[in-house]
Amino acid sequence: MDRRNLLIGAGLAALVASGGMAFAQQPVVKLGYQLPLTGNTAQYGQDFKNAAEIALAKFNSSGKPFKVEIIFEDSRSDAKEGIAIARKFVDNKEIVGVLGDFTSGVSMASAQVYKSAGMPQLSQTASHPDYAKISEWQFRNITTQAQEGPYNANWMLERGFKKIAVIAEQTDWGQTVVSNFADEVKAKGGEIVFSEFFNRGLADFRPIITKIAREKPDAIYTGFFYEDGAQFLKQMKQLGVDIPVYSTSAAYNQKLIELAGADAEGMHLTATFLPSNPAPHVQEFVAAWKEKTGQAEPGQFPAQAYDAVNIMLAAVEKAWPEPTRQKVRDALAATKDFPGVTGDTTFDANREPAKKLTKAVVKNGQFVAVTD
Amino acid sequence: MSDRLRPLLVVAAALVLVLGVVPAVLGALDRSYLYQVANLALIFVLLAASMHLVTGVAGLLQLGHAAFYGIGAYTAALLATEAGLTFGWTLPLSGLSAAFVAVLVALPTMRLVSIYFAVATLGIGQMIYLVMLNWVPVTKGPNGILVTSGLELFGYDLSASAPAYFVVAIITLVSLWVIHRLSHSYYGNALRALREDDQCADAMGLDTVRLKIESFAVSGFFAGIAGALWAHTAGYISPADFAFPQSILILAMVVVGGLGSLPGAVIGALILILLPEVLRPVGDFRNIIVGGVLFFSILLMPKGIIGEVSALDLVRRQLGGAWRGEGTKAGPEVGWR
Repeated sequence: MDRRNLLIGAGLAALVASGGMAFAQQPVVKLGYQLPLTGNTAQYGQDFKNAAEIALAKFNSSGKPFKVEIIFEDSRSDAKEGIAIARKFVDNKEIVGVLGDFTSGVSMASAQVYKSAGMPQLSQTASHPDYAKISEWQFRNITTQAQEGPYNANWMLERGFKKIAVIAEQTDWGQTVVSNFADEVKAKGGEIVFSEFFNRGLADFRPIITKIAREKPDAIYTGFFYEDGAQFLKQMKQLGVDIPVYSTSAAYNQKLIELAGADAEGMHLTATFLPSNPAPHVQEFVAAWKEKTGQAEPGQFPAQAYDAVNIMLAAVEKAWPEPTRQKVRDALAATKDFPGVTGDTTFDANREPAKKLTKAVVKNGQFVAVTD
Repeated sequence: MSDRLRPLLVVAAALVLVLGVVPAVLGALDRSYLYQVANLALIFVLLAASMHLVTGVAGLLQLGHAAFYGIGAYTAALLATEAGLTFGWTLPLSGLSAAFVAVLVALPTMRLVSIYFAVATLGIGQMIYLVMLNWVPVTKGPNGILVTSGLELFGYDLSASAPAYFVVAIITLVSLWVIHRLSHSYYGNALRALREDDQCADAMGLDTVRLKIESFAVSGFFAGIAGALWAHTAGYISPADFAFPQSILILAMVVVGGLGSLPGAVIGALILILLPEVLRPVGDFRNIIVGGVLFFSILLMPKGIIGEVSALDLVRRQLGGAWRGEGTKAGPEVGWR
């Protein structure tokens, strides 16, 4: 049916071009999006889907010569399903580009399929250090810890913290949080006095907090998402441990403040997206998000997904009128200073994004940008 | 039909189906997605069949089966990436390493029965998962391992869709045949005796501890083989692929199909892998539908889709495993062929 529409559309478009007919159905370009819509990580996948639909609706109503359709497939953050979806997308000759998946593990397992079939893949969140190295077809729209770690290390050292404790979740991402940060701290003459990993969803951080307090660090650097972050901050207050906490952009989520309440006050972190940013395109996204989801302000991840979809759509537009997987890939690779809500994005030669980071602090229940 | 001819025909029909009809259909449709789903289904058929031996036939409720699957996958991945071995070597070595760990696990747990054994295997499965997750220098921890070498056998690269299907299918069929011979034989009967009453079986002269350890080792071996197939066909493994939910998935396959029934385990695996894929167009509700199918199949068919009794009956009639009158001079032989 869709193919027939496409054919009819193409035929009518030809008529328009030759005879100037008033009415025509537009041709359709298809993209795939694999993401967890059910299962343990469904809350992230649902956010991505909302963000993608906002971006897509805006694109399709902006009077382009073609329409784009995104096919969403549920991977449940399970590698078996991810690979099957990747095969399905690759088989569909109309699909010229794929977004997703959420976790690095599923993204990398699926990437094996995209690599062998030659399909551009842009993940909004895969942060594994080796993800983009898999092949020339893998892109990501998330700052890696190779950029954020040294940035945060210098920030903390400049503020006079020399003895730093580090904790991070036991995932591929958490590993890179610690290694990139610790290397820079040591290189600049600081000291890592404590380093430990915890399993995601840990209910009781008190043993770790007690151990940290014993080492008397100047500050704590943390690699966690908002659920674990809120637990950690609350339990620190319960134990009366008063040490400055710094974190990465992954903790940047309004839900962190909702869950931790006053205990989140004073936490520092970096972010690439601040909904309080007055730039019109950011405010437009924030307003559209509130209207579509009925939720509060969007977090970092939906913003990354929104940008990833827009970057992919821009690449498809560049590859128009005859978009192929190869052309979309080349257009993605040529992305330069793309003005997204998470800052300007440029892909370097290794298909890694470079973004401008913003320093922020939690103040009066809000994330507020700071300069030092 | 003669009793001798029928088993051959049944086996031939199964072979034609798996090695002829299915690949012909897949080839005609030529969609790599269908090959992928077929391979996945076969890998889980093997996992369910291996669990059938220990949980269905020997009656030891195993809640950590995914750990042996993981050990096989990690052995294959590490041997392929660190030692540069090809699939021809990693396949048997994965099976052996999983069997070795299974024996180590079995030694201290064999004195436990029923729910205590189940909880012990749950704990061991979790321990092995945590080792995969946290032993970063060896397993790469949560980073997982990229397995770059595909299905290379005897110098031929068989990683393309169709050859890969045949490799997975043939290995699964051979394994199924071995598990079939083990569970439908005197040996299988001994395991069943053990399941029904191990003290009684002991009193009858069966070495129950040895039988349990052996069945555990064989089950671990084939789970390891399945792990190697997954590692080489997927190309990337991480601990999340072998966590507790996978053990439960395999257990559900065995129970839905019919505890103690090998055809049941096969059908259970096919249903639980194919149904969620078939239901993809339904969207977010597909998991609820799969859950509903599980619930009602257990409610309406508590013995499974093909219960043990009908499975044994099937094997006796169709595969010629019936009591035979010929026997020796001392009298008719009792038991399986």
